Parts: sequence; C-alpha cells; structure tokens
Amino acid sequence: MTDSTTFYELCSTIQTICETRGSNAKISTCAHYLSRLVDDELYLVSRFIGEGAFDNVSGKRASVGSRTSGLAAAEFCGVDYDSVFKPCRTATGSSSETIEKLMFATPDARKKREPKQWTLSDIEAVFDHLYDVSSRADKQAILLDTWQQMTPVEIKYFIRMLGQGSLRIGFETRSLVSAIAKAFNHDSETVRYAHMITGSTGKTAVLAKHNRLHEATFKLFHPLSFMLASPIESRALDSLDGYICEEKFDGMRCQLHAEGDQIKLFSRDLNDITKTFPEITSHFRNKQLQPTVLDGEICVFKENTIQPFQLLQKRMGIKKPGKKILDKYPVIFIAYDLLFNGRQPIFDESLKERRSQLQQLSESHDIPMSLQFPVDDRDHLDRLFEKALSHGNEGLMLKREDSTYEYGQRRKSWLKVKKPGGTFDTVMMYAHAGSGKRGGTYSDFTLGISVKDDERYEEEFIPIGKAYGGYTDDELKRMNKKIKELRVEKYGPTLGLLPELIIEIEFDDVQVNRRTKAGYTLRLPRFKAIRWDLGPGDVDTLKDVEQYYNQKIEAERTDQSQNPSFIRPSAATD
Amino acid sequence: MRLKKAGYQGIYLPELGIAMDGTHPDAEYTFVTHAHADHMHRNRSAHTYASGPTLSLMKLRGFRGSSEELAFEEPFITDRFSVTLYPAGHILGSAMIYIESDYGSLLYTGDYRTPPSPATEGFRAPPQVDYLITEATFGLPIYRWKTNEELAEEVRKFAQQTLDEDYTPVFLAYNLGKAQEIMHLLSVLNHPIMIYGAGHKLCSVYDKAGIDLGPYEAYDRDTCEGNILVCPSSALSGGFASNVRKKQIAYCSGWATLESRRTQLTVDKLIPISDHLDFYELIDFCERLSPKKVYITHTPNPDVVKHFLDDRDINSTFLNLEMESDD
Repeated sequence: MTDSTTFYELCSTIQTICETRGSNAKISTCAHYLSRLVDDELYLVSRFIGEGAFDNVSGKRASVGSRTSGLAAAEFCGVDYDSVFKPCRTATGSSSETIEKLMFATPDARKKREPKQWTLSDIEAVFDHLYDVSSRADKQAILLDTWQQMTPVEIKYFIRMLGQGSLRIGFETRSLVSAIAKAFNHDSETVRYAHMITGSTGKTAVLAKHNRLHEATFKLFHPLSFMLASPIESRALDSLDGYICEEKFDGMRCQLHAEGDQIKLFSRDLNDITKTFPEITSHFRNKQLQPTVLDGEICVFKENTIQPFQLLQKRMGIKKPGKKILDKYPVIFIAYDLLFNGRQPIFDESLKERRSQLQQLSESHDIPMSLQFPVDDRDHLDRLFEKALSHGNEGLMLKREDSTYEYGQRRKSWLKVKKPGGTFDTVMMYAHAGSGKRGGTYSDFTLGISVKDDERYEEEFIPIGKAYGGYTDDELKRMNKKIKELRVEKYGPTLGLLPELIIEIEFDDVQVNRRTKAGYTLRLPRFKAIRWDLGPGDVDTLKDVEQYYNQKIEAERTDQSQNPSFIRPSAATD
Repeated sequence: MRLKKAGYQGIYLPELGIAMDGTHPDAEYTFVTHAHADHMHRNRSAHTYASGPTLSLMKLRGFRGSSEELAFEEPFITDRFSVTLYPAGHILGSAMIYIESDYGSLLYTGDYRTPPSPATEGFRAPPQVDYLITEATFGLPIYRWKTNEELAEEVRKFAQQTLDEDYTPVFLAYNLGKAQEIMHLLSVLNHPIMIYGAGHKLCSVYDKAGIDLGPYEAYDRDTCEGNILVCPSSALSGGFASNVRKKQIAYCSGWATLESRRTQLTVDKLIPISDHLDFYELIDFCERLSPKKVYITHTPNPDVVKHFLDDRDINSTFLNLEMESDD
C-alpha cells in the first residue's frame, strides 16, 4: 500500500469532524478523507465510524463495559478507581473522555505510553482478539497492552468503537452515508439504498468507490435494516388521505427469511433469533416457500387471543426453549409486509403492491397476515384505535399506501398511534450526574415507590425505575437546586436524597423483573410532571404497581373470532 | 490559629484581626487578592489594602471605600504581624497574601496561576509556609493545561485563519483578565480589536501597567465587522454582533477542556485557556511549600485533592467557605 492511512489519522479526522460545526462541513471533512483511501482502509474506516469495532450484521461484540475499561484505565494511569476516577467521570460526564484526559495528564500514563503507528488492520486484529477472550482479566490485559502504544485521542475513539454505538461527534449514520455519496460522486439516496441492503457502512463505501452500488443486491438470510415508524404527535397530520391503518401488535418485530427447508428469523437489532422460536421455523419449513422475506411481528397467541407482551418476554433470550415453555407460551408470526417475493426484492414497489402480493402468498401458503383498514375520518380512526386496544394491542400503525420500504424513520411514511401509558406518583431517591450534553448536571434520576406499609420490606421507599428526560431545561435547573438541599449522601456520581421531591412519571408498560428490589420495572419511564405540590405521603405504593400489572395481564382481550386484527387463512376454513 | 468565614467567600483570622477577600465586623485590616467579583468586597466602611492595579480595577468596578496600596514583595508590618503580597499570575494585580506572625506563616493564594498569565505581573511565592490556604478550582487529575506557548499559538491561529477566510473572529472571554490576556496575545497581529463595553473600561489599568493590548477600542455594533471581537459569553445572547453573519466564535476558558461545553455553547472553537493553575501544578505547589497543613477551598472535589496530598504525606482539610457559618 502506498498512500496508507493510520489509526491515528482516522482518530484525528474523527476529532476534526467533532470540532467542526454544521453538518455540511462535517460531511465535507469526512468525504475528503474517505476519497483518498484504498479499498481495505475505506472498508474499515467506514465500519469504524459508522458502526464500531464490528459490522453490526456480524453479531460480534467486544463486550467491554465501561467498568472494565474504567478499571483498566485507572490502573494504567495510577489513580484509584473509586476515589479518583469516578469523580473525574462525574465532571466530564463521559467515561471515555475521562480516560482520554487521564492518559494525557497523569505522570504514570505519560511515562508508560509509547505511541506506535497502528494500521487499521492492526486495530481490527485487536478488536477480534477482544471478541475472542471472555474474562474481564483477559480483556483488560489486551486493553492495557494496546493503550500503552496509543495517543490519548486514539484511546478515546478506540473505546467508543468498542461500544458499537455512537462516536458522539454529532455525525450519525445518515451523515456518513452522505459523506460516502459526496466522496465518490453519488446520489445520497442511492448510497442509502445500498446501505439498507448490505446493512454495512463499510461494504457500502467500497461499492460506492467502484461505482458498483447497483451490485448491492439483496441476499437471502442476510437481514435488511428495518423500516421504522415515527410517533404521530411529532408529525401532526393534516390529512389521512393515502394512509391505510393496521393494528400495532403487542409483540416483537421480526424479519423472516425462508427458502424451502431453510428459515431464519432476525430481530430489530439484526440479531439471529431463529433458535428461540422453533415452532415458527417448523411452521414455515412445512410451507416449502420460494425465496421469501417477510416483515412482521411475533406474538404469544393462545385461545385465539393475542397475549400480553409480558408473556412473550418469558420466551425472549431463551435459545432452546423446552416443551413446557413452548406449551405455555405458544407464539405466532403475523406478517405485515413482503420484501422478497420468490423472485426478487420488492422494497421499491409501493406498499399497496407489496400488500397485494403478500395477500396472494398468505392465501396460497396459509400465512397469518395483519389486516389493513381504510380510514374514513378521525372518528373512524378513533373506533379502530379502540378496537386495537380491545384486542390487547398497543395502538395503530398508519402507513402511506404509496410508500416504498426504506430503512430507518422515513418522515411520514409510517406513523404509530399509541395509547398513553400509565402514570405513578414517585419520589426521587437518587440523582445521577448526566453524560454527554447534560454532563456536569444531575439529569438522571432513580425514582421510588412507597413500601411503608408493606410487610415484605423494611424500607419506606424502594426504586421502581430510572428516568432521564421529559423535563425542560428550566425544570432541570430548578430540580438541581432542590437536589442540593435534599442531598444526604454521595457515592461518586450519585447523590442520595431525602425523599421529598415528587415526580409524576409516565410509562408504556409494567414488566416483571426479578432482579430488582421491587420485582417490576417500567417500560420507557419518563417525566410527566414535577409535583411541587405533593409530598412523600402522596407516593404510590408497590401494591399499586402490582395492581396495574395484574390488570394488564388479566385484562379482557377480545379474541380474534370477530373483527380480527389479522387473518389466518387456514382458520377461516376450520 | 482559627479560620472563620468573612463575607460571602472570604476568610477572617480572629487572632490577627485580618479579613481577606471579604469583610468582617471585627476585622482591623481588610485585604483583597484581586478584583474579580467573588473576591472583592464593596463595603465602603472597610479600609482596604491591595495591590495598585487591584485597587484601580476595584474603583472602576464600583468600590468607593478608603484604601491603601501595597507593593508586591514589600512587607507591610504591624506590631502583631507582617503581610507581604506575592504576584499570583491570575489577572493583573492579583496577589497571594503571605502573613507571618507568632502563629507561624500562612499563605492565602486567592486565585492563582502558574506558569502565570502573560498579562500579569508574573508569579512568585515564598519558599516555605506553615499553613497554606489554596483554591483548587481545577482539582481533578483530568486537568492538565497545554503550555502558555501552545495556547498563545492556538489563539493567534484561530484569529488569523478566521480573518483570512474573511470572517470576523469572536472571542468569548470574561471581561476582566481573560479578555485582556487574549488581547495581549493577539497584539502581535496588529489587527484592530473591539472589546465589549464592561471590559473596555478596565483596559486602561492594563495600559498603565505597560501591557500591550493591541490596537483596541470599545465595541461598536455598526462598525464591528472585520475587527477581532472580544466579549463575555453572556453578551452573545444579548445580541452582540448579531448583525455580523460571517463570524467564527471561540470560547476561552479552562472549562473549554470539557467536551460537554461544545454542545452546550454552540461555538466554533474551544480554547482551554484558564486563569487558574492546573491540578498537577497545584499538587506540586503544595509539595514545594512543605506546609504543616493545607486548607483546600473553591472546589467541588476536595476529597480528590486530599487523596493526592495524603499520598505525599501532606496534611490537608477542606475549608468550606461557601457553606460554613460564622460561628
């Protein structure tokens, strides 16, 4: 290789992108760098920036948590983890930034570090090595050995890549796709399309460079990025024209690939979940389908009724479910979209066309399929919504009939209408220093419910959930002031508080979680209101939570015999 | 010797009748380290001792009481104690207060910076003290500053590049101290500078002290485009230079070292130039003076500083000036 780049140059470029203001300028900086890389480097650079240490679709993860890297860094820098590292992390709001700074600042780190020129494939080998070992000690040994030969900025981004999440430089996948397009003179939408199919920013970049984006062809048994819905409240609709509606099932999203005997199931984060749901696999194997890809939902389905998501939870994560579990929580796959029709991908076709092909397939091969309803007006929409709730479903999906299938949130193509969640009055028990944008203020809160009169507990309050968001900047300021007054203990970035500040929280659902003190966790808890008017005596109790859960589980769910939310062709002829 | 709270954030030494950076009803002598608002008092009835530039700046910022100027490193002697001001390198006129008495020697640092800001009288300190009361604003080991030369280069490069691109450079810097340091660093460019009103009126004290602030004048909205502009961060939201569309903004502060500031402020450049010393200078300074005891103030993390001093067998404690009551 002649004009070879290095990991240091990559990290400096990332830092420059971080320091550049405005997305167009960031895209230009990135495009300029990408445009001069050779294939292998282009692939790795695009992967490291866009996804992290590994291709998302590879399913590989480094499994290095912030405690693992924090402890290793504290040791390397010669500072105590609890009494020094943690307060530093509180001040910066970021573990990786803290490590970067300590690597630059501490005498130990300055003495030990002897940066070398890492090539990108060297770094790839380190990532693989981290994936191969499993104990924390082994992972830490690799980290220490690697950091010894790196500069602070390399260490920071190395750690962020391990997280397989955002690099936190204000440059998300959408921007990288635009940078790839700009670097190699393509239309952004073309690159975006290829990215949806390959599911890999690295592969997409290389195809773009060689003008081979058209070769990004869909391959069966490789998951396609999912199309997502936007919440309707953020996309106020003027008109319902052109929309069709279906129920939003109380289950989990799934992409099903099938060809003859071979079946694969993928979850929304593109993980292979085939083994978890053997009855779906065998059900589809019996159909001996031509190459087919379906987008749909897995639900627990029993007594002709869609069962609560809480029951499906008992199946999730179990690789080889036993007979007992299979009998107790039988699942069904309900298709709502067809992406590959036996011959070719059809995501470029309109929803209307895809649905009509899905319908034929459903009828000919007995595949459960969601029903779609035309919407006449708002009143009609309300009635459909009530019906969806009576089935135990979460609400409605509105989809534009002329929309093509594209990954991510596509403006108003798909919208979700969800029922408002439940609310509890809780008490603030702990305040945690925020990270990222909210670094330096207390912005995450552990909220508690009352167990004062509960014989099972000795405490007055126990935690029920953690919420961060739903308040305004002014409210956050006012809370932070109050928190200072209520503070009684300090554990690193966390403050223990007198139980006096009452927060009304809203949540989507209550779920059983045996690992928590309360035995329950809330799904998507967020602030509804700060109740300056209430006191600790007004806090809801654990009994209220249990009651909410039981009501949800036991709630009457209308079965699918009348006004169904989906059809099973075989059931119709029973 | 006992330490008590004086005023908002100051210290009172009852055995000697000395108040520093705050007033106390029983004080016979009141000293001020420097003219920042959280250190200078406005009590007319307290006869005040401070360096010449500090007194001039205090008067420009509204102090109306009687005062007496003390020269740096020349002892002021009474029957009970002797006080010597040492230049603190923080802003022009800033001093550390060194007190020798039967109770031993004590150094109160006020705010300080070493290596010193180039727009000050420099930094000097006594070789040894018994008691050290030190600020620890940047009291965490993540804070290690770049050298003064590197920072000067960053400031000049930002101004020059911005001007070369036909944009107007704006430096967000505190009105007193940081603003003048930035101007001094930029003076070699010999490019016209406009400084925000509240900062402008303080520049005359720097002129008098012979510190070159470059070709500057007071901010004028109508003619400011193309000048180098200097103002505090708060001025921007008040419409400062809002008529200039092509501008690039640099935030100059020790806190600029934190990434979270980037999203909080939406500026083009963060220049981590502080008028306080960094953590390592702080620990070194404590070690160098070999005090019997160090009192740590002005920090949310006294435990971390203490942890490092413990490691060096230096006895220390947190002096909470913000919360401790008078008795």
